[in-house]
Amino acid sequence: MTKIEEVKAKVEAGKSKLVPGLVLEALDAGNNPQDILDAMIESMGVVGEKFSSGEIFVPEMLIAAKAMSKGVDVLKPHLAGDGSSKLGTCVIGTVAGDLHDIGKNLVSLMIESAGFDMVDLGVDVPADTFVQAIKDNDNVKIVACSGLLTSTMPAMKEAVAAIKASGLTGFKVIVGGAPVTPEYAAEIGADGFAPDAGTAAVEAKELATA
Amino acid sequence: MIIIGEKINGAIPSVAKAIAERNADFIRNLAKIQTEAGVNFIDVCASVDDDIELETMKWLIDLVQEVTEIPIAVDSPNVYTCIESMNYCNKPGLFNSVSLEGDKIEAAFKAIADTPWECVALLNSDKGIPKTAKDRLDVFSDLMAKVQEYKINPSRMHIDPLIEMLCTSEEGISMVTEVIREIKTQYPTIHVTGAVSNISFNLPVRKMVNMGFTVLAMNAGMDSAILDPTNRDLMGIIFATEALLGDDEYCMEYIGAYRDGIFGNIK
Repeated sequence: MTKIEEVKAKVEAGKSKLVPGLVLEALDAGNNPQDILDAMIESMGVVGEKFSSGEIFVPEMLIAAKAMSKGVDVLKPHLAGDGSSKLGTCVIGTVAGDLHDIGKNLVSLMIESAGFDMVDLGVDVPADTFVQAIKDNDNVKIVACSGLLTSTMPAMKEAVAAIKASGLTGFKVIVGGAPVTPEYAAEIGADGFAPDAGTAAVEAKELATA
Repeated sequence: MIIIGEKINGAIPSVAKAIAERNADFIRNLAKIQTEAGVNFIDVCASVDDDIELETMKWLIDLVQEVTEIPIAVDSPNVYTCIESMNYCNKPGLFNSVSLEGDKIEAAFKAIADTPWECVALLNSDKGIPKTAKDRLDVFSDLMAKVQEYKINPSRMHIDPLIEMLCTSEEGISMVTEVIREIKTQYPTIHVTGAVSNISFNLPVRKMVNMGFTVLAMNAGMDSAILDPTNRDLMGIIFATEALLGDDEYCMEYIGAYRDGIFGNIK
């Protein structure tokens, strides 16, 4: 097994204590830092798929993301340029009136693991805060709105409408959360929908690179 | 949780029959299924007449070691049988058991003191089973004096506070959980063990009582148990309880045991 393959395997297995050392070993072996990062992103893609298909559980996805983030910590100084992600920035938040953050945090982790820089606005985020965050941050490619309550679905609609009406461009809006269906997402004008964190990462990447 | 698999015991009629008939495959299979259930020790108790106990222990231990790498718990009411049986084991295991009854503990501790063997100690005394928590803890203090005398690290000891049948108790298990808590307070690294199924003696659907007891005893500090590891519901509740108690980061042990098929639907 090459060092890069070892990094991939240990990220997938969520071995956060082993990954940083292996990343350094992979660097010592002469691997390109970007290739190591891409390998880890690829691992998280596999993890996301396994989660989407019900093969693995939430904590297994969590520790894999944690392992990757430990690996990225030691890799960052070696990456070319300013270290910012080539996929761009993703602004994420749970919509106004909704305080649920577990699902949103999982989605955030997975989108970050796919290679985005994250701006997490937290929970109970008013529509204009989303808009302001798009203005305030560079290279925003994805805006992700989360909601768990049926009662806050109108707030999600409002958020998407405000973002779309802001005149700002260059990004796509994705929505998700237990009560959200693909039909509803289309109805309120979102560009994408994902039923779970693994799919959200895939969807974000596809929309950002389309 | 340290699991001591109880299935190879001549007190169980089917095992007694296998021993009498020298049915080697029956014994090997019991070792195999307990290994697959993820036990830490496989208990071996002959429960036969004194004159053939040692040869029976050797026969049983040899069979177990043919099919598994899991260490053995040498189990006999006769301390000298346990001491002799240690020699049949190809790796250090668990000495099951000693108590302050008579002077047996001296011989046992002499045998294990300078080894990595672990040891089960029961909290009964010459006078039988102490009735109150205080009396049981007094026996524990006397026992620990011996443990210290022989310089045995407390982490090698499994204290059995003696689990008695629930159906005749007037106060549930409050006395035994009090004893468990106090033992763990005094010696945080010591193990507290017990024969789980004792609790449900003479009650219908014993499994229910065994599972409820296990949860409460683990909450009090029990971290080792002698039980039937092929009881999938009991094993599942043990892993669940460890996670609920915060001893299983990200539930990874629970998920791992599920994946290993220790509990849950048989795929």
